[in-house]
Amino acid sequence: MLVRTRLADNRPGMPEPTGQPRADSAQQGSAPEAWFFCLRLLGGRYAFEAPLVIEVVRLGPLTRLPAAPAFLPGVFTHRGEVLPVLDIGQLVGQPAIPIRPSTRAALVHCGPWKVAVVSEGVEGLVAIPRKNLEHAPSEASGVAEFLSAVGRDAQGPVAILDLPRLVDTARARAVPAGSGQA
Amino acid sequence: MTGASSEILMFQVGARVFASVVHDAVRIGAVREVPPAELVMDSALGPPFGRDRGIVVAADEGNEWTLVIDQVIGVRSIPEEDVHPLPAFAAACLASGAVTGFVMVDEAPMLLVDLPTLVRERSGAAAAS
Repeated sequence: MLVRTRLADNRPGMPEPTGQPRADSAQQGSAPEAWFFCLRLLGGRYAFEAPLVIEVVRLGPLTRLPAAPAFLPGVFTHRGEVLPVLDIGQLVGQPAIPIRPSTRAALVHCGPWKVAVVSEGVEGLVAIPRKNLEHAPSEASGVAEFLSAVGRDAQGPVAILDLPRLVDTARARAVPAGSGQA
Repeated sequence: MTGASSEILMFQVGARVFASVVHDAVRIGAVREVPPAELVMDSALGPPFGRDRGIVVAADEGNEWTLVIDQVIGVRSIPEEDVHPLPAFAAACLASGAVTGFVMVDEAPMLLVDLPTLVRERSGAAAAS
């Protein structure tokens, strides 16, 4: 079920919250606001680079996979395509995000991976004044491990996730095929 | 049906129904005559409820293993377009290489299992322990 599409339009450039310059950042740096895509997770507001999001979907019935890690609660079909669901809560040692018929997920592209990030709620695009973006605290556990910045908009604080690194870490932490079972 | 199709075997292990390519199964029968060392009781698909029926699978240079299942649901012909590979991220995260994809049966995805890989993994794990 399509809830929102065409996120790529009418977006100013993305910020450089980690302080690492990007090749296309010269023009972006001049924008007063940075745009992210915001989800409600783990009782808070978490956002990531908006261009990663393809669309927001309502999760259909999940098919659970044998021998899958906890952060991969299953797959579902969307327009004839089978898509994996990523539960960030389970990845960072928090309770599973409840999956109900009304649950929505952000379908994202992170490098070679296409996954549906399940959420407690979808806020959508948020603009954060660049002056309100700060480096994330240097903690190496829980969800803080994957933060690239913290910011604040009119709705309150937002934690900025380095989603590609999170997805790569999830894959790396999974047990390699053939070495275990469900 | 005019396009290519695959014959799949549907079987139940525990509470779930799985599918495999028909020719992966050598035969189906009772397991009471099978030596315990050749039984695969607890595979990546999970444990069966009972211990009555099994699918005999050839793996490892012709060695036969018997995957214990609860029941055979049936055989069905599935159009090729209803066979889907496992999503790349899911395939990279699973602890078993035996789940290879899905077949759409009555518009619901059913896990497609490579039986030789499944019993090979289990027999390998048993040997390692």
